[in-house]
Parts: sequence; C-alpha cells; structure tokens
Amino acid sequence: MVGQRGNRSVMTAWLTATNHKKIGILYMTATGFFFLIAGVLSLVIRAQLAQPNANLVSPHVYNQIFTLHGTAMIFFVIAPFGFGLANFLIPLQIGAPDMAFPRLNAVSVWLFILGGLTVFSGVFAQGGGAFAGWTAFAPLSGIQIATGVGEDLWIIGLLMAAMSSILVAINFVVTTFLYRAPGMTMWRMPIFTWEMLATSLMILMAFPPLSAVLFELLIDRHLNGHFFDPSHGGNVVLYQHLFWFFGHPEVYVMILPYFGVISEIVAVFSGKPIFGYVGLVLSAFAIAGLSMGVWAHHMFTTGAVANGFFAGMSFLIAVPTGVKFFNWIGTMWRGSIRLTTPMLFTIGFMLNFLIGGITGVMIASPPIDYHAEDSYYIVAHFHYTLGGGSLFALLAALFFWFPKIFGVKLDERLGKWCFWCMLVGFNVTFLPMHLMGLEGMPRRVVTYPAVGDLPWLNLLATVGSGIMAIAVVLLVVNIVVSSLAREPVADDPWEGGFSLEWATSSPPPEFNFDQLPPIRSERPVWDMHHPELVTMQT
Amino acid sequence: MVASLAELYPEVPFFIGYWLGKGCRRMPVLYPASLQAADLRGVWIIFSAAGLLVAIIVYALIFFSILRWRRRAHDSGVPPQFKTNASIEITSVVIPLIMVIGLFYISYVREGVVDFLKPAPYAVVNVRAFRWAWSFSYPGHGIVQAGTPQSQPTLVLPQGKMTQINLYSDDVDHSFWVPAFLFKRDALPGYTNHFDVTPTQLGAFRGVCSEYCGLDHAFMTFTVRVVPLATYDRWLASGGTAAL
Repeated sequence: MVGQRGNRSVMTAWLTATNHKKIGILYMTATGFFFLIAGVLSLVIRAQLAQPNANLVSPHVYNQIFTLHGTAMIFFVIAPFGFGLANFLIPLQIGAPDMAFPRLNAVSVWLFILGGLTVFSGVFAQGGGAFAGWTAFAPLSGIQIATGVGEDLWIIGLLMAAMSSILVAINFVVTTFLYRAPGMTMWRMPIFTWEMLATSLMILMAFPPLSAVLFELLIDRHLNGHFFDPSHGGNVVLYQHLFWFFGHPEVYVMILPYFGVISEIVAVFSGKPIFGYVGLVLSAFAIAGLSMGVWAHHMFTTGAVANGFFAGMSFLIAVPTGVKFFNWIGTMWRGSIRLTTPMLFTIGFMLNFLIGGITGVMIASPPIDYHAEDSYYIVAHFHYTLGGGSLFALLAALFFWFPKIFGVKLDERLGKWCFWCMLVGFNVTFLPMHLMGLEGMPRRVVTYPAVGDLPWLNLLATVGSGIMAIAVVLLVVNIVVSSLAREPVADDPWEGGFSLEWATSSPPPEFNFDQLPPIRSERPVWDMHHPELVTMQT
Repeated sequence: MVASLAELYPEVPFFIGYWLGKGCRRMPVLYPASLQAADLRGVWIIFSAAGLLVAIIVYALIFFSILRWRRRAHDSGVPPQFKTNASIEITSVVIPLIMVIGLFYISYVREGVVDFLKPAPYAVVNVRAFRWAWSFSYPGHGIVQAGTPQSQPTLVLPQGKMTQINLYSDDVDHSFWVPAFLFKRDALPGYTNHFDVTPTQLGAFRGVCSEYCGLDHAFMTFTVRVVPLATYDRWLASGGTAAL
C-alpha cells in the first residue's frame, strides 16, 4: 500500500512538475523516445532502398514512413532536445532559481509531448498516417488526395508543437532578460544562453506563420477555404511561401542551440576562454536576422520567385557561419585539448557540418540548385547539417551534461566506441548520397531502377545506416550500464567547467544554488578555481 | 618501389582509369547533354573547386590544432588565456564575404543566361504533368505522346536546335527533371512555366518527376530522345509515326 502510494506520488510529481530541471528532463526523455522511433523508421527506409526495384514495403507505407521520419526528427527530436537542454541549463547558467513562468513551462512540455503522440497516432487511423511529406505541400495534402484523418492528426499535432515552441520561447526570452543573477550582465552570459536567445527570437518570428499555414490547410480541408486551390483563385505557390517562411528559420532553430553547445564544449576542453566571444554573439544574431530573408531558396525551381535576391541573402549566411568556425578553431589554437567523448563529438560536428555548410553554399546558387533540388544531393546536404551537425552536437551535449543532469557520468570507453561508429556510419551512409543525387536519383522515391552507380551506392548507404544503428545501441547500453554503476559525481566532473552550472551539486538542488560564486567574467567557475589568474583577464 | 609496382601490375592504372572514366561518364555534371547544361556545368565546377579549397583549409586547421595542442601526460599548467584577436576576426569576416560576393556574381550571371527565353524557338512542346505520368504535345502537328503510370512516354527533341518547353500540371506540384540537362523546373497547378533547351548530344536520356506527388511518384518517369534534325522533321511530318 505504502509502496503504491509512494509510486503514485513519484508519478504525480513528474506530471505536475514545474521545476525547470524536471521540465528539461521530460523534454529530453520524450525526444529520446521519438528519436528511437524515427531512427527505426530510417532503417526501414534504408532497407527498402538497399537494392533496386525492391518491394519490402509498399509505396503507400513507404510514403508514410518518410513523412513520419522527417516530421519526428525535425519537430520532435532535434529542435525540442535543444528546448529541453535550454530549460535545464539557462537558469543554471545565469544563476537563476527557475524559469520566469514555471507553469507556462509545464504547459509547453505537455503540449509538445501530446502533439508528438497526436502525430504518431495517425498511423492507427483509417487509411494510415500522413503521407504528404514533412512539408505537406498543398494540394497534395488537400482533402481530395489525403482523404484520411491521418493528415488531420498530423496538422493538429504540429499545431500543438508550434504553440508549445512559441510559449517556451517567450519563457526563454523573459528569463534571460529578467532573471540573471547579480553580476551576470548580458555580456557575461555563456554562449549557449546567447544562442538560445537568438533561437527564441527566431521562433517568435517563424512559428506564428507555421500556425497560420496549418490552420489554412485545415480550413481548406474541411471548410472549403480554397486558400491553395487554383480553380477558385487560390495559389499553390502561396503555400510554399508561407511554409518556407517558417521552414528556413526553422533549420536555424535546429542548429543555433547546437552552435551554443559546441562553443561551450570546445572552450572547456581546450582549457581556454571562447575565442571571439563578441563575434560569436553577433554572428548568432546575424544568422537569426538573415534567416528571415532566405526562405524562397527552397523555391528556385518554381520559376515564381526572385531567385537572385534569395540567392544573395543565402550566400551571406555563410559569412557569420564561417565566423563561428574560425572562432572554434581560434579557441583550440594553443590550447590544452582533452579528447573526451563530448570533445570527440564536437570535432565530429565540425568535420561533418563543414561539408553540409559547403554544399549549402553550392545549392544556394540557382544554377546548381536546378540540378540538385529535390534530389539525393539535397538529402545528403541536410543530413550533413542536421544529422552530422545537430545530432553530433546533441550527443556531445548529452555526454557533457549527463553527469550534471542525472548525477551519473557516462562511460568514456563505450562513449568513444559510440563516437567512432557514429562518425564512420554517418559518413558511409550520407557521403554516397551526393553521388546518387548527381546521377539523377530524386528524393522521396520508394525505389529506383538499376541504372548507373545507384545500386552499389545505395547498398553502401544502407551498410552505413547499420553502423549508425550499432552506435545508438552502444549509447543505450552506456546509459543503462553507467546508471546502474552510479558512482558519485563531483560538482565539476570535467575538472575545468566554466559556467555556473558547474558551481552547484550534480544533480543540482531544487532551486539550483545555495550560494553563487562572484560573477566577474563570462566564466565564473573557472575564475573561482584559478583566483591567481583572474587579474590576467582583460 | 613505384617503378616495380607498375612493372608488377601494369594493368592496375588502366583499370582505375577505365572505371573512373566510366563513372565520370555517368555524371551529368561532367558530361552535360545540352547547351544550357554546359553553362550550368561551369557554375558546378567553380563552386566545387571553391568548396574543396575551403574544406582543405579548414580541415587542415582543425587537424593541426588537435594534433599540435592535444594535452599530453606530462603537460601541466594553464594554456595561454587569450580570447580575441581583432585582425584575425576581421579577416575571418572579410575573406568569406569577398568569396561569397564573387560566387554570387558568377551564379547570378549564369542564371540569367540559362533562364533567358530566346525568341523564335525551332520547336515548341507542351509538357503536362499529372499523377503519375507525363504527356508531351507538339502544337500545330497534332502529336500527343501521353504516358500512363505503366508505360513511359517519350519526349522527342531535335539535336542542336532550341526547343521551348511549356510546363503545366493537372493536379499537384510536380517537377520536370532531366539529369543529363542539369535542369529541372516545377510543374505547378494554376501556373505555367517556360524554359528553353538545346540538346547537343544524341541519344536517350532518363527523365523523372522530382517533386514528391504521392503514391506512384517514383514511377512517374519518361525518356528524352534526342535525334538528328532531319529525323526529327521527318518524325514530325509523319504525325509522330515515323521510326526514330
């Protein structure tokens, strides 16, 4: 009886949690489950594409699988893991006891979780889940073609996720502006907090248009809205404009938090302050600002947009992104580099993301995009940014902050195995996709003919995805094994942390700090451990 | 050592060259099949070269940093705590800025050349996309080559002459892509697209729908047959029945 009541109270504690650390853990745990589902879906995709003219899954099922894979990874894994991490870290990094609006925060996380479950529940609907792709272009997503209720569940689930993102962004902005500890001026905030501020501003600009376009789609489907119906004066290009006006800032919503993660980790494991702090902050806001003016580079081949303008704006984004790369290298320069698991994932991030960045500049050129658009070249490009980039940084963050979040340090040996499998598997999977695209393989195809080099390139990619699956298994094993071992973790387990989260216990107490160290620079904990060197700083 | 290996396996360089050559021949980026593709290829080559250069420099800096400044067992003390360097930071803005302005200029000029619709095309073909096939009609000649999801239609084009394509869609967004031409353009309902193509190489080329359009998107393909001008004229005069 007592035990039961005890269990129930633990359950109730999580369901009614408003503490930012519990909300953060809920976010990150939910994204973990969604990641495993989306990952298994990607393995089915690779199994189907391993050989030409294969028939492992039917086109109808395949189309649902890639729709769900993309939707889950974008809306329910990569972006919200950043929100979860920020929920956990921002109050700690700025020396606050909690977020500004704890109950609103609880609304955000549960809207997000229920939104995800709503989207996934579509697979049980009559006619199956949504199959119009994560972009759901009208009129393909219209009621005449996507007749099932799966598409409606997809739209409603995404509306919930969009609302959740807007609410959480408001919370981040207000917390960052109003809840900083004495001494924590804006220009002393850790880079991660800065990047989340820029991310939140992008969310506040980009997610209302997403909500609008999803509502329009619902109205078109059920109330004869004709927003996107050319036979009644509607416009299919309008859908693309609205969707990508959200969609391109969204890709930066999925990368800026991870730029922050990389900046924190590379500095700690080089034993040096981040190089070019001001430049890094300004570049985050330059990217956020430019990201609002590049959306139609997804529409170069429509023949309906000002290609020159959007190409120019897109090229410009390479400049602040380049600044970040040089600052990370500048941070490692003459440092004392420790190749821990988080640092390995950080370096892996740089190596992969650079390729995605370079192909990004290429496809920002309309003459190149005319061949690359909607081919596997694009699939390769965005997986290098979101998989090789964001996902590697996500794993770096997981290994780096796991001891702080759970009081458990993950095993370094298993962690390094996970890294090498991930790095090799990722590149074996996605490097060949550039060549597939160049040879003329369109994306979102259930199969392909046995022409040219497509068969062996696809087989190679499938082998790579198997190696990545091993990396994920190693990660899960690591989490289980390390949690069972449960060795006590110090306040600063990496022996060289910079920001305030390393000044409190692991995991931190309910309201984070019993007392704060003096905050006189952007790395108060380092100052605390090196009092003799503090005067050296300028 | 090198000489002896070459003596032992004289056929190896031949095979490598043969397979590389064969592989490259399948890359439309290297072997464009139209006048426009040759223009587009220039942009691919310049951007790829610039990208490769950047990749080599940045990779070298990253690997150099890791190898040179990796903490070793006997290392002690704190590394130098510098955190800014104005001239390097300004350079890291200015050089990429100059690069992207140059790349933008190249891209912008070439795009203008390819997108420009020249007057007086030799032939006009209306291309209609629908779920999940294509139909090609030759206005004024009464020829309609309509495909079904089970049988692919053929688009016949004259070599060395400019054909203007008018692109329509009956239902959802599609995209007309001939990889050998390095070019695609979307077929959108309620909106007509136009572009020019001047094929330079004879032969049959694969065409696909590259904008996801639902169930049988993967099977919405077609063939482009580029034939000599005389054959094309004869084929047109015969109402599309003469052998190609």
